[in-house]
Amino acid sequence: MLKEFMKQFRTRTIWMAAASVCMAAAVTGQSYLVVTIIQQLFLENAVFSSILPSVFILISMLLLRTIFQYVIKGSGIKMAQTAKISIRKKLLRHFTGQQMTDADKGQSGQKASLFMDTVDEIDGYFSQYLPQAIQSTGVVLIVWIVIFIQNWTSGLIILISAPFIPIFMMIIGVKTKDKSKEQLSQLAAFSATFLDTLQGLPTVKLFGRSAEQRNKIDQDSTSFRDATMGVLRVAFTNSLALEFIAMLSIGLIALEIAIRMIIFQNLSFFTGFFVLLLAPELFSQLKQLGSAFHSGRASMGAASRVEDALEEEAMPVAWGDVPLKTDKAPEIRLEQASFHYEQGKFQLEPASMTISSYEQVAIIGKTGAGKSTLLHLLAGFLPAEEGKILIDGIPQEEVQKAAWFQRISYLTQQPYVFSGTVRENILLGSLEKQSDQTIQEVAAHAGIWEWISALPDGLDTIIGEGGRGLSGGEKQRIAIARTLLKKPQILFFDEPTTGLDIQTEHILQNSLNALKKQATMITVAHRLHTVRDADKIFLLDQGKIVGEGTHDELYQHNKMYQQMINTQQGGREA
Amino acid sequence: MKDINLVLKMMLKEKKDILFSIFFGFLAGITAVSLFAASGYLISQAAFAPPIYTLMILVASVKLLGITSAVSRYGERYFSHRGTFTILKNIRLKVYDQIEPLANRLLQKYRSGDILARIVGDVESLQHFFLRVFYPPIVLAAVFIATIFFTVYISVGAALTMTAGMIVVLIVFPAIFYLFRKKEAVSMREKRGVLSSEFTDYLYGFRELTIFQQAERKEQQLFNEMNQYEEMKASENRQLAIREAIVIFFSFFIAILILIQAGFYVAEGNLAGTLLAMLFMIAVTVFEDTPSMAVLPAHLEESKSSSKRLTDVWENEAPPEAAVHELEPDLPLHFDFKDVSIQYPNEKKPAVQHASLQIEPGKNIAIVGPSGSGKSTLMQALLTFAPVKSGHILVNGKDISTIAPDSLWRQMNVSLQHNHFFYGSIYENLQFANKNANEELCREALEKVQLSHFSLEDQVLEKGTNLSGGEKQRLALARLFLREASIWLLDEPTSSLDSITEQQIMDEIGKVTKYQTVVTVRHRLTGLENMDRIIVMNQGEIVEQGTYTELMRKEKGYFKTMKELESQQLAF
Repeated sequence: MLKEFMKQFRTRTIWMAAASVCMAAAVTGQSYLVVTIIQQLFLENAVFSSILPSVFILISMLLLRTIFQYVIKGSGIKMAQTAKISIRKKLLRHFTGQQMTDADKGQSGQKASLFMDTVDEIDGYFSQYLPQAIQSTGVVLIVWIVIFIQNWTSGLIILISAPFIPIFMMIIGVKTKDKSKEQLSQLAAFSATFLDTLQGLPTVKLFGRSAEQRNKIDQDSTSFRDATMGVLRVAFTNSLALEFIAMLSIGLIALEIAIRMIIFQNLSFFTGFFVLLLAPELFSQLKQLGSAFHSGRASMGAASRVEDALEEEAMPVAWGDVPLKTDKAPEIRLEQASFHYEQGKFQLEPASMTISSYEQVAIIGKTGAGKSTLLHLLAGFLPAEEGKILIDGIPQEEVQKAAWFQRISYLTQQPYVFSGTVRENILLGSLEKQSDQTIQEVAAHAGIWEWISALPDGLDTIIGEGGRGLSGGEKQRIAIARTLLKKPQILFFDEPTTGLDIQTEHILQNSLNALKKQATMITVAHRLHTVRDADKIFLLDQGKIVGEGTHDELYQHNKMYQQMINTQQGGREA
Repeated sequence: MKDINLVLKMMLKEKKDILFSIFFGFLAGITAVSLFAASGYLISQAAFAPPIYTLMILVASVKLLGITSAVSRYGERYFSHRGTFTILKNIRLKVYDQIEPLANRLLQKYRSGDILARIVGDVESLQHFFLRVFYPPIVLAAVFIATIFFTVYISVGAALTMTAGMIVVLIVFPAIFYLFRKKEAVSMREKRGVLSSEFTDYLYGFRELTIFQQAERKEQQLFNEMNQYEEMKASENRQLAIREAIVIFFSFFIAILILIQAGFYVAEGNLAGTLLAMLFMIAVTVFEDTPSMAVLPAHLEESKSSSKRLTDVWENEAPPEAAVHELEPDLPLHFDFKDVSIQYPNEKKPAVQHASLQIEPGKNIAIVGPSGSGKSTLMQALLTFAPVKSGHILVNGKDISTIAPDSLWRQMNVSLQHNHFFYGSIYENLQFANKNANEELCREALEKVQLSHFSLEDQVLEKGTNLSGGEKQRLALARLFLREASIWLLDEPTSSLDSITEQQIMDEIGKVTKYQTVVTVRHRLTGLENMDRIIVMNQGEIVEQGTYTELMRKEKGYFKTMKELESQQLAF
């Protein structure tokens, strides 16, 4: 993935390379001028004022060097910014291709961490590693050429010793990679224990285990430290080795220069000093590259995690551009439509059914029978694997997405409340602007107006994540208000199994009765009266439709249905 | 300075690592300066073709200094990082010591677990204080001062320039950067929070957004947030890069100044020419490590706000009242709620209003009601975890606030709505209730809750994330079977289990609690026939109390209506 970006950033990297060459020139010029000034004053006994021009050029060289270095760095920052935005967009598009069903919700925590933390980790590759790599390459290359031209023996020494740095780093890197990977996962486990203990404090106190738990923090922290030090020691040894190589090489150059100057006397002070100033510049670039390399590698790891996530197959539902007739609730027909999830054994066997306009349909069956999957298929949240879904006779994949979703609504057991005001949450049900009057009306119908008006900020109270927490009943009522505002032609309804209070239950009933008259209602039913009142009941068992009809029809002819209703009525009180 | 007190105190406990880091840091710095001074001197001497032995001595000392410098650098890194993690440990323990006695009060104040995650995050961010804020300037200053002393012998003027440069780099720059830093640190953190919650909203609420055709609008909003966040991040990075560039430029600039100044002395004949190169090399090297000063202010600000947030958690709390009464361990407990109202801070409505009830020893009591009706709050009040606003809760005639909580908890067996498990084996988690429980007892307890398919060595991850809801509830109950207690408080102990398993486990509990008090919060209305009392709650109030038959006899009674409603629900 990072390689793809390299293509995209081609022009930019070329400019960065140019900047690094300029920077190398400034570095060389700077050293050259320092040596010139010292040479003039020290050996040529020049008058002070004669060096002043050189001083000014020297300062401008220094300025240029700093500017070029900043330009390279700034470019890296810009690349990181662009890359991260584009990666986040990709992730988002990918996730939303999968996010229509409940089955995916469990992993949302992981996805959030991938989206935020992992993508942030990639930053280092573009903002640190890449600019440093370009800068180091440019400076090392140019400076080496200058050194070689000035004094080829010094150049040779560098040529022989410098490659040891990357080679050495690679050897250490390969050797320690697995070890540190294993240690890092250990570290992650350790670092979580403190939070674990704090969150468990009530339990700790109720069981009277405070002292032991304190000990555990102490021990865990100590082993956390030791494990981290184990990883860090590798990095430190790495840079120690780097410094030794640099030191050895610079020492050799110094020795060689001294010998040539003193014994052979075939090297001038100027050249000797010039090379002696340039060599550390070269090695310091290599050292910086070494430390940037670590953050680069961490980023590459993060990038590959993102890549793995992107490779997971998404099965978005395809839509077309055929509009639907406006006046009537569309008819839905399944023709041998089937579906199965990537993971797990569950499979919805090919199913055929017709749901006419304004029909009241109940889907029943035991846990795991496939009720929700069928509902999702009908609502267009999941694609049919084989067979067809026809909406008003038009194949679903040809229907305009907006036309379909404009007509439907979906009430779940756990409606989602967005972080925002109560008003925003209710207004989700409408594309047009709505007056507070209308909002109040639907809120009152949903039985939540009293609650809203008791809030300190009324409709402007912030709810959802980071705001005020809502009880299950309150969330349910917000969702009802949304639905009432939307007035859907088809309502998909996953009936709550338990937990609603009498009031919410009543409100739910009344609201649904009102909606019934103007909408098709398809319900995964958990209430006896819903089943009894339905125009059509589908009985599911292990992914198959094993019964279809009204309550009376099924009760007479379907054994399984009979059994289910009987246990319900008889076995409850036992 | 006050804000940073906490981390400072905890840090100073680790004197040994601090001293070693500073010592090795100083050694590394000063040897590097000497190394380059020596090489500058060497090259100047070489120009005059000196006797070979001076050369040998110089080269040898250059080598020696180089090796010392590299090794010291290693030592510095090692000790400073080790110190950092030890300091982190100290801070963790300190935070634990501060929070532990306040645990029930903090829980009253903050109902959600967010604060704990924040505390942990703040503790983690304090690790930068020693490493990036505290010791680098000390080491730099030490190296500077030693170098300046040496320079005085060569040239007083150059030493003065160096001193001025040191003051600017170590004090003036960080101070200016710090002053301009302050506001941004906060909003960057906030921005990240906003982006993260926008993303979660988009992901969790995607279905709702699609149905209400707002997905595109929300996506656009998210893109905007993303762009703003990245723009902020980039501008922060750019600012850091500019600061670093300023410090680097200035450091080199000072070295050039010293070169010119010394050059002037040489031209005037006040300084030996052989020392010129050396002086320049010294100046360049001594300023080499100063870029770290550019990032210091940011880390200081971060440490400061983290430290302040942490201290705020416990500083505004009054110390826990000295508990006057220790409950005697063998006396049965009698609870008496007299017109109790409970209201959490930041909530407008009380969670429980005017509740009066009695819990007599040995009784079997159920609390029922819809979600949000205050059942769990009542339970929390029994544990002293809820803020009582008015009224009294008496335990054996004494107000609950005057009783040492530990002596109360010792007699309680509690299963909360969200039970906590620790990272470790099943065995370790069971032994949490009773450290003397042997393997056999633990296996028996698992059997009682129908978890015998678990082995004691099975691992439990943090917060039991690898267990299902039903498994967690059963494991929590298994813990209680290992522990003697006179009162059992069970908050929806079996809500994730099917009704058959539920009944079997409740029977097991019944067997060991013949003479004990059992208070159960229930969400299902089955199996209540044999309760000594059923307390029915709605909207924070106790609407009815009585036995099953008493409640069912009431025409249009709340309990009766609920019960009828429940029988409408299918069992699947």
